[in-house]
Amino acid sequence: METLYLIKPGELELKTGNLREFESRLRKDIERRLDGRARVDIRPGRFFLRVPEGLEEKAERVLSRVPGIVGYARARTCGKTMPEIGVLALEVAREGREAGHSTFKVEARRADKGFPLDSYGLARELGGLILENVPGLTVDVRKPQFTVYVEIRERAYVHGVVRKGQKGLPAGSAGKGLLLLSGGIDSPVAGYLMAKRGLSLEAVYFNAYPYTSREAWEKVRDLARIVARYAGDMTLHTLSFTEIQTAIKRGSPEDCTTLFLRAAMVRAAHLLAGEIGANSLVTGESLGQVASQTAENIRFSQAQTDLPVFRPLIGIDKEDTMRTAREIGTYEVSILPYEDCCVLFSPEHPILRARPDREGPAYVSLGLEDLIVEAVRTREILKVPCEV
Amino acid sequence: MPLTYLDWAATAPVSPEVLEEYLRTARDYPGNPSSLHQAGKAARTALEDARMRLAGLLGCRAERIVYTSGGTESDGLVLLSLFRRPSPGSLVVSSIEHPAVYEQAAVLERLGWKVRRVDPGPDGRVDPGAVADACGPDTVLAAVMAVNNETGAVQPLEGIRRALDEAARGGRRIRLHTDAVQALGKIPFRPEAAGADSAAFSAHKVRGPRGVGALYLRSSLEPLAAGGGQEGGARSGTENLPGILAFGSAAAAAVSSLEESLPRARSLSDRLLEHVRDIPDARPVPECRTPGDDRYSPWILSLSLPGLPGETAVRVLSDAGFAVSTGSACSSSRRKRRVLEAMGVPEVLAFASIRVSLGPTTTASEIDAFAQTLRDAYLRFRT
Repeated sequence: METLYLIKPGELELKTGNLREFESRLRKDIERRLDGRARVDIRPGRFFLRVPEGLEEKAERVLSRVPGIVGYARARTCGKTMPEIGVLALEVAREGREAGHSTFKVEARRADKGFPLDSYGLARELGGLILENVPGLTVDVRKPQFTVYVEIRERAYVHGVVRKGQKGLPAGSAGKGLLLLSGGIDSPVAGYLMAKRGLSLEAVYFNAYPYTSREAWEKVRDLARIVARYAGDMTLHTLSFTEIQTAIKRGSPEDCTTLFLRAAMVRAAHLLAGEIGANSLVTGESLGQVASQTAENIRFSQAQTDLPVFRPLIGIDKEDTMRTAREIGTYEVSILPYEDCCVLFSPEHPILRARPDREGPAYVSLGLEDLIVEAVRTREILKVPCEV
Repeated sequence: MPLTYLDWAATAPVSPEVLEEYLRTARDYPGNPSSLHQAGKAARTALEDARMRLAGLLGCRAERIVYTSGGTESDGLVLLSLFRRPSPGSLVVSSIEHPAVYEQAAVLERLGWKVRRVDPGPDGRVDPGAVADACGPDTVLAAVMAVNNETGAVQPLEGIRRALDEAARGGRRIRLHTDAVQALGKIPFRPEAAGADSAAFSAHKVRGPRGVGALYLRSSLEPLAAGGGQEGGARSGTENLPGILAFGSAAAAAVSSLEESLPRARSLSDRLLEHVRDIPDARPVPECRTPGDDRYSPWILSLSLPGLPGETAVRVLSDAGFAVSTGSACSSSRRKRRVLEAMGVPEVLAFASIRVSLGPTTTASEIDAFAQTLRDAYLRFRT
């Protein structure tokens, strides 16, 4: 037996020009995540997913994680006759009762204006039917414990509880972004948030082995795997930054090492973005979160690229970021103790307000460009598939 | 890549003969030593024979020996037995103790005991007078290890015993507990000659199996954990007979070969010290340690490579086929190395230190190859 899911797509209704493209992206994304074993039908304002038996749990995980869906529900469908609709409405009502609820309402929507009853009439009829046939239920139109939804379209659809989706826009509809991924709490969340805005993602990690451990890299890989559950298939590029870090450490004033390292990272990300066709960079920066994340310092590293740098956490409190990290499952990995920057490279008192005229020449004089190009060229590439 | 193992103080690879003994006795003695049947009696006889032999190695009577699961349990038995006293008193511990003592003392402290911690001198050795000075009228126990597991500093236990006796001035004896895990089979050590009232030992540091150890007890002890009353009531639980027998063989092999192995270890650690002195900026920890200095166990040597974090050095050396260790962590919280900090070693040196520990199979050519690799790693990765 197939299971039918009714899907409410996200902001697609707002799109007029490229609606088709958005719809098709979302459809393909859902079908690909289900390994092509389920089919999506696009109808005006609704998608329907037909899932073969045994695949329901996986389908629900996909629907709860894929960007571009407001909500979804297991639905039943039948012909557009009141007796048939009544049978399905009673099934949904009995399920609600069995789940321990005692108040309900019926919400009806008549998209097919040819149907004899209007939405109000439909709701009233079905409500009465349920009251007569399911003992222990009363109607509460203001705060019902559950709702029986009925939609009259090309067929009739009846469903109960609507589960929340991720909202946002279909993956890839905004092109590809390159996420600067560390082992911390912020950058995975930043990637997740931008994926929901329609960016497909590749990620770059700056590896400082042996100053950092193999475990630190494994942690980043595991974070990428979790982000990919939402963002879809990813690629993790690992750049060896050891020589660049030591060059910075040896040739810079101590308070500038973090500033220069970040500039080198943005430069490397810029070059890599060009190679992989990314239209933007994504970072987890949050204004003032650490002493060095100031507007002046962000300007300094920003100068290494003309790509837009998306910083979705720039105005977000750490606590809220942590909550999101817990929700998406990256938090527990992020707090593992493996540092991705050795304290040797972290100055005790980092510079707070970099000035291009003062720190700029010092950075340029390090002559890092060749090392950065080499780090990009010799990177390790790991496919991180979206695992459901 | 073949691994050159220089982490013997962490654990010593079990010797093939000892492993054989373990397997053989696990097969040959199926009985529980507490059982009354033949198999039980055979097991009991084997157990008591082993106890007698270990006592012989330690120069004490067999009934002074209690078998345990290892060094940590041996230390814990002694410290936790203090809770059997009617009211909390105080104890004195050196601040370079192994966590088995140091953290256990902290637990006692949280539960009402007074704990005084005595720092060593810059040479890593605890001054007997400082231990005595820390004792008060309510002090019942002092704990000072025999050999420090990070620096190899041999602690002056006899002097501490004398100082404690003077501090007690004919009053109640202040007991001296010593964690002798890095002493057994590595330097001449007898708990009674050292003046210890209790001493903890571990099998796997002398090429025995893991999960077995012993405790020397000058007088009986009331344990906190109760049970079937094995081991003279001090440590309940069915005895790990094959482990105990294998431990006995391993300890016998180590102790009986000391006359030969100790000078060999001394010449190897001296060799390594000379190599280290040839590496610019590298230095032993403590810096006052010189070749031939018998205040330090030759089996353990700490060195510092300023500018190269210990953890990084361990990774680079591991990739090159050498196993050494560090107690420090390359973390943003700048976690301290307690032992080195207590000695007053500056943080830049402590952070950059590694511990090299030798074993009976270590060779001069391994030491030479290690020193060369260390030099290369330092040149390449120091910052």
